Amino acid sequence: MVGGRRRILVIEDDPETAGQLVDFLSTRGYQVDLASDGNDGLKRGSSADYAVLTIDRMLPDIDGLAVIRRLREGGIVTPALIISALGEIDDRVRGLRAGGDDYLVKPFAFTELLARIEALARRSATVVRETVLRVGDLELDLVARTVKRAGRKIELLPREFQVLEYLVRNEGQVVPRAMLLQHVWDLHFDPTTNIIDVYVGRVRRKVDGQQAYPLIHTIRGVGFCVRAPC
Amino acid sequence: MLLAKTLRSSTFKWALIWITIFGAVVIALFSYVYWSTATYVRGRSDRVIAAEHAILRKIYDGAGRGGLIAAIDDRIAGGRFESGVYLLADPSLAPLAGNLKVWPSTLKGSRGWEDFSAREWKPDAVNPPVLRATFDTLPDGGHLLVGKEIDDLDEFANKIKTALLGGVALIFILAAVASVSVTRRTVGRIEAINTISRAIMQTGLGKRIPLRGTRDEWDQLAENLNSMLGRIEALMAEVKQVSDNVAHDLRTPLTRMRGRLEKANARQRNGDYDQSLIDDTMADLDAVLRMFSSLTRISQIEAGDQTSAFRTVNLSEIASEVVELFDAAAEEKHAHLDAVVDQRVLVTGDRDLLFDAVANLVDNALKYGREAGRVTVEVTQNGGAVISVADDGPGIPEDECQHVFKRFYRLERGRRTPGNGLGLSLVAAVARLHGARIEMMDNRPGLKCRLWFRLPAMS
Repeated sequence: MVGGRRRILVIEDDPETAGQLVDFLSTRGYQVDLASDGNDGLKRGSSADYAVLTIDRMLPDIDGLAVIRRLREGGIVTPALIISALGEIDDRVRGLRAGGDDYLVKPFAFTELLARIEALARRSATVVRETVLRVGDLELDLVARTVKRAGRKIELLPREFQVLEYLVRNEGQVVPRAMLLQHVWDLHFDPTTNIIDVYVGRVRRKVDGQQAYPLIHTIRGVGFCVRAPC
Repeated sequence: MLLAKTLRSSTFKWALIWITIFGAVVIALFSYVYWSTATYVRGRSDRVIAAEHAILRKIYDGAGRGGLIAAIDDRIAGGRFESGVYLLADPSLAPLAGNLKVWPSTLKGSRGWEDFSAREWKPDAVNPPVLRATFDTLPDGGHLLVGKEIDDLDEFANKIKTALLGGVALIFILAAVASVSVTRRTVGRIEAINTISRAIMQTGLGKRIPLRGTRDEWDQLAENLNSMLGRIEALMAEVKQVSDNVAHDLRTPLTRMRGRLEKANARQRNGDYDQSLIDDTMADLDAVLRMFSSLTRISQIEAGDQTSAFRTVNLSEIASEVVELFDAAAEEKHAHLDAVVDQRVLVTGDRDLLFDAVANLVDNALKYGREAGRVTVEVTQNGGAVISVADDGPGIPEDECQHVFKRFYRLERGRRTPGNGLGLSLVAAVARLHGARIEMMDNRPGLKCRLWFRLPAMS
């Protein structure tokens, strides 16, 4: 099989959305194949090794979920990101999200799409078990559950530690609010309030307050990103 | 028209069936009464005749033919046996004594019972009287006949027959009248309701079925239909209100965006200015999209097909987690946010939705409560699981309490704070999906919102 960790299959029937997806992902260094219906997607998905595939929930010929099921039956385990216009509490999609794969509701921000694709791509790569995570002068001891910035200890509540740990593990990546809520609180909905921002705001005050440079950045309209200055 | 409907009505058909069954039973009963009365009366008269005959036989046995003739003459003269018929005849059937002139020709054999008519018995009667008699042959070859006129018996039986037939006829007439009038009444009321229904279908939901004030089942039906119409009317008004609000809440940001783009289009490109324009426009668009997803979320919840995701969840745990999540937000407003929870309060539900609902309530309490106030989330097991979120802020006027759950409903003073007026609608929808009762009450001071889960948790 041909393929690789930077190769993505996009199954999307709307030509304009498909074009935007291909353009956006290509500028981020991905090699993108496009399938415009379910059968084509099934064929391509079975023949090449993709890091991730994105699939529209409603395709003209085969239902998106059915395509994924057939791929799984054929032994293809490529992580799938389902893009749906049906809303976030579509039961079947939510069930899928709780399982292996992920899903996104139309309309979405491309940065959020990228964040989810990268999270799925990383999942299929090897995970290195570390006990200490470092970004810039920040140090997280995963065993002792302690945080140090420039050698000085920072007091964090257990949940705040989890938030920081998840952001640091995804260093350099944008973490959408809903993903944070999903991984730290195990909740599967888009909060309608700005509560996540307020919560991360407090973590940021503790971590970035009176420091040489900020580590936690807010990505407007999407979520957060931990990044050390170059 | 009404009569035709009455005759077609199912009530009337049922009444007919029952009248037929009832009538058949009454006829059977009356026939039995008539038959047993007639039998009894006749049997009694036969016993009297037989006794008289036995006495005369005894006299014959003791005193011979001469004695018997004397006894018969004595009986006729004394009138001891009212309307009694006697005849003693010799072996050639020539009369010897008695008040019957000829041996009746219909009598066959040497002994037995017989009914016969004898014109000469009452020559002036219109119909020949019917006599009943027993007869036998005496040891000397003579014949003895003892009987009675039975016309008066038949007359008695006929009187009973007439009374019974009259009764049956009366019962049938009454039943027919009753069933027609009852059916007519029923059909009339139904027709009234049908007329109003047609009027409502043609002209709109404004009309109501008039009540008669009798508080009977018809009034109850009319009342229920009226309150159903009221609910439909309210829902329609709400739908209209919602679409008006959607139009308004959409037009405002869209107009803003269009104006901004138009202005930018008319001027030279300018990096900083364009950047802030793009940022503002995206923020406005995000707000519009959020409103849309809130709306679809609420309607999906209201469609009520999410119950397959229901699990047993601990409300106390949810409350504690929400409080923990909002800790930072409370801190920002210098408010005290506490959870007062029983250890395990289980309900059957969707954790995500319940979390979202409680989060919305806490968000509201922090947003509209007092600055540096106190917000308490309480979970108790008190005749079902109860979760309440209370603040000590200004509260809301009592007459607003029912309205706050409507979509896009916002109090005047809330218009300045960010939000789209959908939070409490979502809470109400989640409550309805879980069969929970939602109440807003005065917290003296402040506002308390309570969700009461009446359904017990699945075991």
